[in-house]
Amino acid sequence: MLGKLTWSSLPLDQPIPLITSIVLIVIILATLVWLTAKRHWPYLWREWITSVDHKRIGIMYCVLALIMLLRGFSDAIMMRAQQAIALHSPGYLPPEHFDQIFSAHGTIMIFFVAMPFMIGLMNFAVPLQLGVRDVAFPTFNLVSFWLTAAAVLLVNMSLFVGEFAQTGWLVYPPLSELQFSPGVGVDYYLWAIQISGIGTLITGINFVTTILKIRAPGMILTRMPIFCWTALAANLLIVAAFPILTATLGMLLLDRYLDFHFFTVGAGGNPMMFINLIWAWGHPEVYILILPAFGVFSEVIATFSGKPLFGYRSMIVATMAICILSFLVWLHHFFTMGAGADVNGFFGIMTMIIAVPTGVKVFNWLFTMWGGRVRFEVPMLWAIGFMVTFVVGGMTGVLLAVPPADFVLHNSLFLVAHFHNVIIGGVLFGAFAGYTYWFPKAFGFRLDDRLGRAAFWFWIIGFYVAFMPLYVLGLEGMTRRMQHYDVPEWQPWLIVAAVGAVLILIGICCQVAELVVSIRNRDSLRDLTGDLWDGRTLEWITTSPPPSFNFAVMPNVTGEEAYWGMKQKAIEQRRLTDLPDYKTIEMPHNSATGFVTAFFAVLTGFALIWHIWWMVIIGLVGAFATFVAFAWRDVSEFHLSAEELAEADHRRREARIALVEGREPGITPVEYSGPPSHGSNEISHRVEPDGGYKGPASKRITTGYGFWIFLLSDFVLFSGFYASYAVLSHATAGGPAAKGLFDLKIVMLETTFLLLSSFACGMATIASNVRNMLWTQVSYAITGLLGVGFLFLETSEFAKMLAEGAGPGRSAFLSSFFALVGLHGLHVTVGLLWLGTMMAQFWAKGFRADIMRRGLCFALFWHALDIIWVGIFTNVYLLGTSP
Amino acid sequence: MSDYETEGEAGFDSAPGDQEPGTHSVATGVRNYLIGVALAAALTVGSFWVASGTSLIYVPGVPMALAALAIAQMGVHLAFFLHITTGPDNANNALALAFGVMIVGIVIAGSLWIMYHLNVNMMVPSSMMDVHTQQ
Repeated sequence: MLGKLTWSSLPLDQPIPLITSIVLIVIILATLVWLTAKRHWPYLWREWITSVDHKRIGIMYCVLALIMLLRGFSDAIMMRAQQAIALHSPGYLPPEHFDQIFSAHGTIMIFFVAMPFMIGLMNFAVPLQLGVRDVAFPTFNLVSFWLTAAAVLLVNMSLFVGEFAQTGWLVYPPLSELQFSPGVGVDYYLWAIQISGIGTLITGINFVTTILKIRAPGMILTRMPIFCWTALAANLLIVAAFPILTATLGMLLLDRYLDFHFFTVGAGGNPMMFINLIWAWGHPEVYILILPAFGVFSEVIATFSGKPLFGYRSMIVATMAICILSFLVWLHHFFTMGAGADVNGFFGIMTMIIAVPTGVKVFNWLFTMWGGRVRFEVPMLWAIGFMVTFVVGGMTGVLLAVPPADFVLHNSLFLVAHFHNVIIGGVLFGAFAGYTYWFPKAFGFRLDDRLGRAAFWFWIIGFYVAFMPLYVLGLEGMTRRMQHYDVPEWQPWLIVAAVGAVLILIGICCQVAELVVSIRNRDSLRDLTGDLWDGRTLEWITTSPPPSFNFAVMPNVTGEEAYWGMKQKAIEQRRLTDLPDYKTIEMPHNSATGFVTAFFAVLTGFALIWHIWWMVIIGLVGAFATFVAFAWRDVSEFHLSAEELAEADHRRREARIALVEGREPGITPVEYSGPPSHGSNEISHRVEPDGGYKGPASKRITTGYGFWIFLLSDFVLFSGFYASYAVLSHATAGGPAAKGLFDLKIVMLETTFLLLSSFACGMATIASNVRNMLWTQVSYAITGLLGVGFLFLETSEFAKMLAEGAGPGRSAFLSSFFALVGLHGLHVTVGLLWLGTMMAQFWAKGFRADIMRRGLCFALFWHALDIIWVGIFTNVYLLGTSP
Repeated sequence: MSDYETEGEAGFDSAPGDQEPGTHSVATGVRNYLIGVALAAALTVGSFWVASGTSLIYVPGVPMALAALAIAQMGVHLAFFLHITTGPDNANNALALAFGVMIVGIVIAGSLWIMYHLNVNMMVPSSMMDVHTQQ
């Protein structure tokens, strides 16, 4: 009934997890009771849980990240304490618990602190900076958030129901295979990451589409703030890299659940393929984290230096160069695992090359400060702290990029020190800079200055005290992840490192106090103008906090630093622009879809982890039903009248006038009297003020483009499975080979079915374009029937192979074959389910614009499946059986 | 937002999968798909023929021929079914596709290159593999 779940799954005999669990449960229950007693639930539900406002979603992401930072940090301080005392002694943490802690620490800090923090900041700031009212797909944005939250819940459940992985944060096989990790720990990891991975992928699609298709009029790409550029690059990387992670972890799941042999030691499996693929995701991942942080620093440094960013265009080029190069360095994570000199040489050199655009950025920031009037506000402190710290981390990174040096330093604490140096000094400092920079914009009051400064100094000093000793320890030969050791020379350094962790703890306490004190003193910290930092980008033109619609009228962008230009003109003329012409706008409705989806995701994930199969079915059916219900909705938007907008904008203009006329006390605008940074700016002014960009694209283009980006990520997913097939296709382990196994007659028939169904789908597109219901439905029905025929052929082919003993459990070759072809079959199945609901929608609602958009996406999906099949029938079936 | 619904406001741009404006007539549409099906069918038949062991093709060249035919057929599908063109209205869609193809290429080619080297360098005698396999 409950699968593997029994009373012994609870940690009743282990005091540390037990007490932690009880304390956490009490805190959660107390919060819930308090919320209920104070009757906050309707407000929370309306304004946060179901809100599709990108700013609210962004804030929820950041809150999630901050809470998980506490969890990840408590893991860290436990490890530091253990290593400080574990000389010739077992310490206070038993090995299996210590192993879970370092695995959880890495997993949580990367996936549930750094990622949500960066995604939260992008969510909050990117649409504001682009001068628009929302992201391309607001409801999906909320689904992304809730899927991430669902994964967070699963990971934390492992604390008191079962166990977490003991394999390190990247669950390397063969250790993570069922043979060596029979418990549920690895399964918790895998399902949590898969669920959050889906959420992250949707975010990536959403933001690529938003940035490329939805910007204020005149905001041509080379006028976008750098944060938007880095967000674009990071989200392109998400779209391109996360499918590889999904594929890789999917293969490990198949190994663990269905006796496949991708990475097992037996039956021809190859663990190195996992390590290869996971780092093909893993290296882009570090740039997914650091690029948005670079963007934050660019904004902060320009603002607090009172100068335009130095080398705006070189910053764009550097960002996009990193975006591409980050896909060409992944082998440096496993230099020592057997690649030869030429492979190591190539990836070593690429790794050094990627430091060049990063160096360009550092010089750009320095030159931005040079000659500026630098204000040392808290965000700027984080930015300067970052520059110093990150350069140290970057240098040790270049050192590690030298393969011979890496042979000495790999797997040591030197490496641990290096990546904490770049992740804390880069990503986390960036997150904190963004947090203090945009907090006043988000809530309408600034954070307490003194506690903010204290937090910065404790963090940065704590960081150096905690991690510089690790460099020394690494050079002294201490490897990472040691539960105990017997080298007395190491202990003093480890004690110093533990002291550093305590300093960081004080820094975190300062941040908590900063938040509490600021909320209490919010009236005296109020930002009345909406522009308290004297900002340069469009988020500062609106009020703090911004209204749900961000801008009553979309700003007209005529150059770089759109807001700075408008502000300087207004200050010069001592007046605001003329009253604009307010028009009624449409805003998206709240939606419970995200929350309900997350509920079913948790249910499914938990059931899969504990092998409770009936619950898996309930979860999947529930998730599908949620999507059908969402797709079926008739009213997705509501109207805001021109009068409401005019009234809201009137209040904003009142505050602005005070600012423009210098009546507002506090920050006085800094005049920058140097020449404009770019001549090109002036030229584009004269030729065409809007640069040829008239504003957001139509919904059809936006939806189609978003789906197109999804399909490209799907191609990458397939490429992961195909790469495994190509590598493992000779690993037959004495079992049947391709020749003699594949029946080409069936393949020919399958190919014909799919090609004809593609044609039928095209006919349906034409028929729906001319609004012919009969032919639309008939063509779709034929499409579906041919798809069913294809699936029938494929299923019978699989059944025959299984009956002959040529199932996926036989060999790595067959595992990779079944996974690749089966994944395509799964896509066809999903397509058929989709087609069924869509035909019903056409029938019930006619050729409505939103249904037509879905028809466009379905056609793209179905034709893309055919393209993937072309790859499969040629490169799997025909190549396998050819002479 | 009302602005989103105004078609063509963003200048030269079209949704992937939509035919170029001006080619909306049913006859041209159907003809387009028919040409696509014919070309795809021809290439499919070609692939099967190449793989059937014909003596007309140099045997070590078969994988290359299959790859070329597959890529050609994918191109046909993209052009005739997905209506991805090189026109200015399609620049965004084509660029995204190029990025995706590049990543796919890197993942597949990189994996094959790396794994080939690992396999060559880390070849373990089968007797030792038995020791490692504890099943």
